[in-house]
Amino acid sequence: MKPDSTWRDFLTPFVLLTGPGTLFIGVTLLVPLLTVVMFSFWRTESYELYADWNFDNYRVLFGEAAYRTFLIRSVVSAAVTSLICLVLAWPVAYYIARHGGRYRLLLVLLLAAPFFTGVILRIAALQGILGPGGLINMSLGLAGFAPIKLLMYTQFAATIGHIYLYIPFMVTAIYLSLVNFDFALLDTAKINGAGPFRAFIEVTWPLNWIGTSIGTVLVFIPCLASTITPRFLGGPNATSFGMSLSQQFGETGTWALGSAMSVVMFIFSFLVIAVLKFTIDLRRSGFTGAGR
Amino acid sequence: MSSHDDTVSLSLEDICKQFGPVKAVDGINLDIRQDEFFALLGPSGSGKTTLLRIIAGLEHPTSGRVMVGGQDVTFMPPYHRRIGMVFQNFLLFPHKTVAENIVFPLRMQNIGKAQRDDRLSWAIQLLRLQGLEARYPHELSGGQQQRVSLARGLISRPALLLLDEPLANLDRELRAEMEIEIRRYQKELKIPFIYVTHNQEEALTMSDRIAVMRNGVFEQVGNRTEVYQKPKTVFVAGFVGQSNQMEGKVDKVNGGFLAFTWQGKKLVVPHAGDAKTGELVRFMIKHEDVQIEVASRKSAIPGNHNSIPGKLRDIIFKGQTVNYLVDLEGGMEIVASGSPRDMTLAAGDLVFAFWSQDTGSSFKLG
Repeated sequence: MKPDSTWRDFLTPFVLLTGPGTLFIGVTLLVPLLTVVMFSFWRTESYELYADWNFDNYRVLFGEAAYRTFLIRSVVSAAVTSLICLVLAWPVAYYIARHGGRYRLLLVLLLAAPFFTGVILRIAALQGILGPGGLINMSLGLAGFAPIKLLMYTQFAATIGHIYLYIPFMVTAIYLSLVNFDFALLDTAKINGAGPFRAFIEVTWPLNWIGTSIGTVLVFIPCLASTITPRFLGGPNATSFGMSLSQQFGETGTWALGSAMSVVMFIFSFLVIAVLKFTIDLRRSGFTGAGR
Repeated sequence: MSSHDDTVSLSLEDICKQFGPVKAVDGINLDIRQDEFFALLGPSGSGKTTLLRIIAGLEHPTSGRVMVGGQDVTFMPPYHRRIGMVFQNFLLFPHKTVAENIVFPLRMQNIGKAQRDDRLSWAIQLLRLQGLEARYPHELSGGQQQRVSLARGLISRPALLLLDEPLANLDRELRAEMEIEIRRYQKELKIPFIYVTHNQEEALTMSDRIAVMRNGVFEQVGNRTEVYQKPKTVFVAGFVGQSNQMEGKVDKVNGGFLAFTWQGKKLVVPHAGDAKTGELVRFMIKHEDVQIEVASRKSAIPGNHNSIPGKLRDIIFKGQTVNYLVDLEGGMEIVASGSPRDMTLAAGDLVFAFWSQDTGSSFKLG
């Protein structure tokens, strides 16, 4: 064997196997991302981008109260939505995985039913329930009661929308984790003296934490970037960071500021993933063969 | 039943368990003594695992009572029962180290760290797990995992240790070693062990008493030699040890013996049941109770023995023992088992298979 043939033996499969994917991600994700980072240090004037490098966009972003409010609102909203989804999804996923029997797969596929229609339609449908002329408040009105203000164009209504939109991801992630969980371990825990609650804390939760954290990321990140839901359900007092961001690229045409907002959002998303990653110890995840 | 007898640590009173139309456990009564190694032996589907899960509290009986140390625990949840359990597939917590797995029961009882560490080093020493404390279960061999599982079952000195086919996933050599070990722990700790197995050798090697279970009922309960040598039913005779079977109509009953004709030979065998003249019986005799002699030395066979002529078809050498396969006229076969020392015989020799008239067991059929 020639000495350089080993090098080629390695390179050929590497290029063939990873090449197409790398190229695709490079062109569709990395290039636009780098472009956005670049734009965020530029300047827009009258809908035109000018390449004079500066930090003004970031200064505006962190200096003006409105943007700070939008950002904090979006982060808090994403966190609250994730938490509520977590609490609601766990029992559902647990029930399907443990007691779903032969209907398990069907039940999980049903979770995907809302995706049969587009986001706009689904949000419009929610508006038809929560809005001023919607099912709830109209019925109340017909019965002679005052409408529930909380449901009309508030952060609360937007959060309901977010939960509705993203909870399937959470249930699916937790379910996929639980179907690979050996429920016999709970019998073991109980025989060894753990009541139902302690058995959950000691065994079920830690062994399904990876799935749970994946679900959390899948809810948190789209929620952080959400634009349509707060616009349709949230009204003016629920303007989100994502809504403002999309305005920079649309109505106001301030691409450079929009790019800076994108970078900030990207950093926040990344932070959440990093924090969750920090909580995962593969050796303690129950994944056998995960090594050190 | 058992009133307040201090030596009885577990008693089962008329336990039944029904799954839909299936009676998995059908009227089990049993007392387990404080210092006893008890085996539940039966084929798969006999209800032995269900019975064990009822004792553990993982299932509730449809009717009947479970008493541990004189207390009715029938509907007590498993986490209050102070019972240890060891499973076939180990069921160690994969996200906890060996040490964390072992002390788990103590933590659940809110026992302080100092005492936990104390007990841990005791268990590590007992089960020879030194140096493995910080490992995770997937980094251990099957035998080590099973020892960790035993340590976890024993660390809180439970009132009772249940073992559900704990050695079934281990290879043969390790199994033989563990059989001896587990019996040693039981004798040292004087905690009653209830050991479920479908492997009769395991049951015979390890236990003091054996219950042979089939279709949810006990076919026989007795000490191990009794179950082996004096099986009460055809099933027990066939399941425990390896037996030759012969069937025929009873010609005569004479005290403790009966005579019947098999393959044209008149045989005299022990009579334990209630078979009468003319009724069909099955006689079963263990391979090692049958001896063999070359045809030319027929006179060496003592008088009070049954003997059947045949042709030695093959000799199966099994190391410690040898099985002689003897073809009889009419296509039947008898197996005689002996020590390999006297290997003067060869396949094709004409021989007599013979056994003492007072060995083996007869059962009325039908």
